[in-house]
Amino acid sequence: MNVTSLPTVDPSAVAPPLDGVRVLDFTHIVAGPFCTRILADLGAEVLHVETQTRTVGVGVHLDRRDVRVDRSKESITLNLKHEAGQAVASRLATVADVIVENFSSGVMRRLKLDYESLEPFNPGLIYVSMSGFGHTGPRRNWTSMNMNLQGYSGLMLVTGAEGDPPTSVSNSWNDFIGGLHADFAILQALVERRRDGRGGYMDLSQAECSVATLGPLVLSSAVNHQDPRRMGNRSSSIAPQGCYPCAGEDEWCAVSVQNDEQWSALTQAIGSLALANDPRFTSVEGRLRFHDEIDEQIGAWTGDLSKEEAQARLSALGVSAERVRRADGVVNADDAGHVFSPLLVPGASKPDLAAGLPFSLGISETLAPKPPAPIGHDTRMALAEWIGLTDAEIDELETAGALA
Amino acid sequence: MPNWVKGNNVARILDLSPHAAIYAGRLLAEAGHDVIRVEHPAGDAIRRLAPYLGGKPHIEYGAYHQFFNAGKRSFALDTSTSEGLEVFRHLAATSEAIIGLPSALNAEAFHAEQPRLVLGLLSNDEIPEICQYARSGMLALTGQPGRTPMLMGGHVIYAATGLWVGVAMASALLVQDLTGTGQIVTINVQQCLEVFNEQAIGTYASTGRLSNRRGYRGAITAVSGAFQCSDGWWMLSVPNGADRWSRFLDWVQDPVLAADPSFAEEEHRNVAKDLIFDRLDRWSMTLKKVEAVDEAQSQGITSTPVSTPVDLADDPQLVHRGFLRAENLPGFGSVQVPAGAIASLFGRPISLAPSLGEHTTC
Repeated sequence: MNVTSLPTVDPSAVAPPLDGVRVLDFTHIVAGPFCTRILADLGAEVLHVETQTRTVGVGVHLDRRDVRVDRSKESITLNLKHEAGQAVASRLATVADVIVENFSSGVMRRLKLDYESLEPFNPGLIYVSMSGFGHTGPRRNWTSMNMNLQGYSGLMLVTGAEGDPPTSVSNSWNDFIGGLHADFAILQALVERRRDGRGGYMDLSQAECSVATLGPLVLSSAVNHQDPRRMGNRSSSIAPQGCYPCAGEDEWCAVSVQNDEQWSALTQAIGSLALANDPRFTSVEGRLRFHDEIDEQIGAWTGDLSKEEAQARLSALGVSAERVRRADGVVNADDAGHVFSPLLVPGASKPDLAAGLPFSLGISETLAPKPPAPIGHDTRMALAEWIGLTDAEIDELETAGALA
Repeated sequence: MPNWVKGNNVARILDLSPHAAIYAGRLLAEAGHDVIRVEHPAGDAIRRLAPYLGGKPHIEYGAYHQFFNAGKRSFALDTSTSEGLEVFRHLAATSEAIIGLPSALNAEAFHAEQPRLVLGLLSNDEIPEICQYARSGMLALTGQPGRTPMLMGGHVIYAATGLWVGVAMASALLVQDLTGTGQIVTINVQQCLEVFNEQAIGTYASTGRLSNRRGYRGAITAVSGAFQCSDGWWMLSVPNGADRWSRFLDWVQDPVLAADPSFAEEEHRNVAKDLIFDRLDRWSMTLKKVEAVDEAQSQGITSTPVSTPVDLADDPQLVHRGFLRAENLPGFGSVQVPAGAIASLFGRPISLAPSLGEHTTC
């Protein structure tokens, strides 16, 4: 294939950035599917390769579709253990702009779907592997999941206060971080491909993505030979800052006093002349030093108030404060949750909520979330439109079990 | 197989990012772009964010400056003066993109003057980090069950929101390359964090259930989470299946766990979690974390160390892949410096952070 015959994207500034870009998606669980769904939001045609033959396990769910990982994509089923199924996948790869996969080391090579096998037939192919630790190095064969990477990356031991056990965030944080790094890399690679017409291979390590987000602390530890202090909810430069208990079970209000004026306002809100007049607290240095004592006083005051009331009283006086919201407090509020829109999953009784992109492009369109396609919904379309198979050829593959 | 090494796409990008976007400029620098940090002659706020390399406050040695400004050039400019704004306009005229804008400039009017520019702006970025995190619903999910919710450490949410800014900017730069047209890109910081909370939001929408903090225990399998050992913490997730449990018990050699055959079933392990964790906590204290992880991984059990930043500073995997690279840091000698995930992915060099105004005269 020569350079001029490479697939190109639509040269209209109004079209979505990835309009005309074909993504062949071999991802599963969360990190990879999150990456490719963002590409779909940016206008790419994402063909998710799935199978009916895989046993049920983590991240494999034949009986239901998940808005968060399956939405906005086309779905094709291929039996990659079947020679003809593999051959079809290889042919689809010849007309793809981008392949994304997040299998463990060696899987795609065994299926003859690794970059080296595909590149001779599609030199413009941009191929992204996004395994836990990358496909090189002494830990290339380690398996990982989100929680492991929260631990490995250092996140769990920089979150929380000194002496706390490891502290996680209770969602797939590292999957999102890895997926977004892959998106950034793919967007950059598409521009570089325009210079020379050639694609290439990118071996992304999800662990590296997570560690990078803590790069400053890794660097300081390398120089200082000691771990940074775990700050909990406090700041190194302003005080007081914390998350204070409010009336009710597991109800809290975050407060972050940005300057001396806000401190004065806080003491007014609390109605504490003792705090206001204590010379130890007039400077931020003093407030940092006597933070525990101040926290007790704030906590005693917030403890009698609802979190809404605490926030309202503080905000009215110009103190930075925000109630700790749970999911209901995000979606049922006027000032939050606008990035979500209802999306009805086929077969579900009530709509789910799907997040769109948290940014807008002034000219180029981006796409709102679309409901997940039923598994295999686009198999015939893709085989016909991507690689020109006839109905008879598709029937033959189906009969042979290659499309299961 | 070597990772992608090309570097044939170099745009000039002026970086006036606030904290919530600062990682975007770093990502673009790792990708090979000419990123110029335009900062006040007194140095911008990121230089004053602790900790400091060497331990003492100094505008050249802030760890956040050293990491997030690596790969960039530094141009000292007071954009609050008319002379400074004029210089800024000249810089913009030879640039492809800008992140952030001097407060004296109106974004729409400025972009109308230079429509081929990609101009990245933030919205909803005015409230402090912990308040932003609370508003997104993420603070309620971070910490130990039943205890105070915790802000994620290391200002990691600045990197997370900056990552969205990077994706948004890269999207518009692709359009600019395709069409020659620039545009204003608006990134909503609050929404960046809310998207990360999509699982809990979706669970609430579809089931009415509210998600909770999990602390250091996992939720994928019955026996998963972090365990304390003799030299720190490590994490494992024992897979489903009777044979995997049996193999795991061969390693643990715990008579109490071995005596109850019902534990072969994941369902029963879920019911007896407290007992199982109690036994495994005791067993774990006899182990060292790296050896424990190596043994678990050899058994096909997903496991990792729970690292401290010091552990990561010479992590063999990160060194092997060129994520950590030995650099001569002035004043500190040879140090393993994080090159970053994108520099590692593309196989690109990245220079050390610039001193304040180092490139003003260039």
